[in-house]
Amino acid sequence: MIKKNLYFVLFIVTVVIGLTMLVEVVFRKPYSFHGTIINPPLPVTDFTLQTSNEEVFRLSDQKGKIILLFFGYTSCPDVCPVTLATFKQVYDNLGVDAQQVRFVMITADPDRDTPDKVSEYAARFNPEFIGLSGDMTALYSIWKELGVFVEKQETGSAAGYLVSHTSSVYVLNQSGNLLMTFPYGTTAIEMIDDLNELLKQSR
Amino acid sequence: MKNISVLLILLIASLLLGACGGSSEELTIQSAWARPASVGANGAAYFVIENGAGTDDTLLSVSSEIASATEVHMSMEMDGGVMSMQMQESVPVPAKGTVEFKPGGLHVMFVELTQDLKVGETIILVFNFEHAGAKTIEVPIREP
Repeated sequence: MIKKNLYFVLFIVTVVIGLTMLVEVVFRKPYSFHGTIINPPLPVTDFTLQTSNEEVFRLSDQKGKIILLFFGYTSCPDVCPVTLATFKQVYDNLGVDAQQVRFVMITADPDRDTPDKVSEYAARFNPEFIGLSGDMTALYSIWKELGVFVEKQETGSAAGYLVSHTSSVYVLNQSGNLLMTFPYGTTAIEMIDDLNELLKQSR
Repeated sequence: MKNISVLLILLIASLLLGACGGSSEELTIQSAWARPASVGANGAAYFVIENGAGTDDTLLSVSSEIASATEVHMSMEMDGGVMSMQMQESVPVPAKGTVEFKPGGLHVMFVELTQDLKVGETIILVFNFEHAGAKTIEVPIREP
């Protein structure tokens, strides 16, 4: 009799756990990304640019890594350091998972930014960060493909011309396709949440 | 009786004047910090100007001895997520108002630093206001 009761209790417990799991699977809200999702992800034409010491950076060599890409220039004192400082927070927070992500800055000012200069600028925030420049044709086709606006402007500053540029961060997935953009002002916490979700989905 | 009324009015008036006469009537610069940067590069400093005075003021210029030029700029977001930067001739600081210099907005730009800006060190900035005159402050270098 006691044994029978025990089986009954076990049965009820199993049913309750089963139902809870079912509800969890059926009704769980899908993760909602902070960034702007591009659906379906947009294939990005392979490109080659230079990093420090004339080393070559080829997009197709990065397959298997998520790429965080932004455009800036080294004379920029405000917006570009803000983005790189955010990258630094993201990198530090991801821990070992940071090895699954490439943090890349491409110049919006090739006339003044040599590959060495951009590399050094990015590396100042974290030695793992990649800074890229290259010839105008290569840069122009990347800007055009990703819809990056770049314009020199004379404002009378002692710094010479300034550069107006798109300040979004572009997220390329492990296959090198454009998956999402983060508008300027996206916090490190929001980027970390989205990256963790992407890494989880790809496991 | 009339004398007492006059006395009371004088007392209240002096109390009110006393309340207004505190340090809040001045223009102050608070929460200043500058971003670390290397010699030869450009840098930026941020702060909050609080104008406690009853008159509108104007920031005319900022100077330092750590760069080839020290300028006031404003980053602005244009259509389509484009960030643009404009040099500012002057910045109005309204009476009893606050103007915040912050990343992605108003900032002091150091053009071609003549020294490294290292975390933990401080630099000196001199502000020149139309009414409040010159204000000198110490600015710590730190990460955002």
